[in-house]
Amino acid sequence: MKLIVNGTDVQVTDGINVSQLLVERKVRLPDMVSVELNETVLQRTEFETTQLREGDRVELLYFMGGGRGTHAV
Amino acid sequence: MSSAEALGEIETAIFQTAAFGYASAEEMADVFAGRAPGHVYTRLSNPTTLVLERRLTAAEKGVGALATSSGMAAIAATTLGLLRPGDEILAANGIFGGTVSFFRNVLGRLNIRAIFVDGANTTEVEAAVTPKTRALFVETIGNPRMDVPDLPALARLAAANNIPLIVDSTLTTPELVRPGEHGAALVVHSTSKFINGHGTAIGGAVVDTGRFDWSRGPFEDVAALARKAGPYAFLAHLRTVIARDLGGCPAPQSSFLMLQGLDTLSLRMKVHCENGLALAQVLADDPRVAAVGYPGLPSSPHFERVERLFGGRAGAVLSLRLGSLARAFAFINALTNVRRVANLGETRTLVIHPASTIFREYQPEDRLSLGVPDDLVRVSVGLEPLSAILADFQQALASAQKE
Repeated sequence: MKLIVNGTDVQVTDGINVSQLLVERKVRLPDMVSVELNETVLQRTEFETTQLREGDRVELLYFMGGGRGTHAV
Repeated sequence: MSSAEALGEIETAIFQTAAFGYASAEEMADVFAGRAPGHVYTRLSNPTTLVLERRLTAAEKGVGALATSSGMAAIAATTLGLLRPGDEILAANGIFGGTVSFFRNVLGRLNIRAIFVDGANTTEVEAAVTPKTRALFVETIGNPRMDVPDLPALARLAAANNIPLIVDSTLTTPELVRPGEHGAALVVHSTSKFINGHGTAIGGAVVDTGRFDWSRGPFEDVAALARKAGPYAFLAHLRTVIARDLGGCPAPQSSFLMLQGLDTLSLRMKVHCENGLALAQVLADDPRVAAVGYPGLPSSPHFERVERLFGGRAGAVLSLRLGSLARAFAFINALTNVRRVANLGETRTLVIHPASTIFREYQPEDRLSLGVPDDLVRVSVGLEPLSAILADFQQALASAQKE
């Protein structure tokens, strides 16, 4: 299925949850990432239980770098 | 990227570097924009320090942590990240002199008013809450007053007023209490003390326990950030604005030393607490000592809270009063193995005369209200054999009797 991750179309395995997305996309420092799904921030405990659907918009945000995160202000 | 066992190393690697390079402008732009993870500059984050932050988060069972260059830097970032001119912070009146000074002299300059109350008396704290109050600040054990606030009661008071309870747990560490489990929003530490444990580095940290809903709090900028960062909003606020711009970052080498200390914290706190209680009991029974401040003594008014909140263990800091300034000085000077040092939480037993040192800048009546009379000696009990500590105290008390 197709998702929009950080504004880019990506092809991922059908029916995966958010935790699986982080693994499949080889997201670095997964314990540091904040995940926003269709403009709602997920709690970390929701990563395993939140199943993704075709066309979902996922934003992966980090609050560790030099900036504030594109959308974080 | 991460320092986690990149080459199979057992101990955490020390990333002794100021900055981190990137292969392309795009990659660097992604990191700055928060779209990709990465370390940029050690003032902002560092892989060694990140391991320390994860360990502290786990120890406190929090949602995240930010390590700083000192405990004072942690307190500065935390309070400056919350408070604005016109706001008030309610603080316990028996807390560390450096914190009192920061609240009065630095926050005061910014028209942020600190109001000091008896933190162990929840009724008095409640009566001092005003519409301008934006935070409560207490120490798990007031230093050097040696009082213990009722953390769950203060957490309920804070929640009723939609403000965070900030708890300095330096004297207890996560070994004795996790303030988040009693409702505290933020836990601050001077990691220079028991966490480091050996007096080899200065450091601090703030841990977000996840107990405060930043999206509904009275802090507009943090609430705005909560829409993107959820429970990490306050730490994101510190990391991407406040602490980043204040610049009080830990040295990577210091973070390593704190990690090394964490490995043995449990073992050391066990002996620290045993020696602390044993010395307090001996001093309490000694007619040459006018008073002993140690909340782990059954005679202490704070003993019930030590049992209820700290599992009966009251740490390794105690105070004793010797009747006069001259006797206090004579006692301190007569100690042969115990060291005269402005620190606590080291392997060695340390003493200091707070009134002439940490609290020197305050007027005598001000010092009394902060729980620091002229005849008070503060002791940080170390890990030496108990018999050696007792012997030095016995001979020094005998010597002080001549004054």
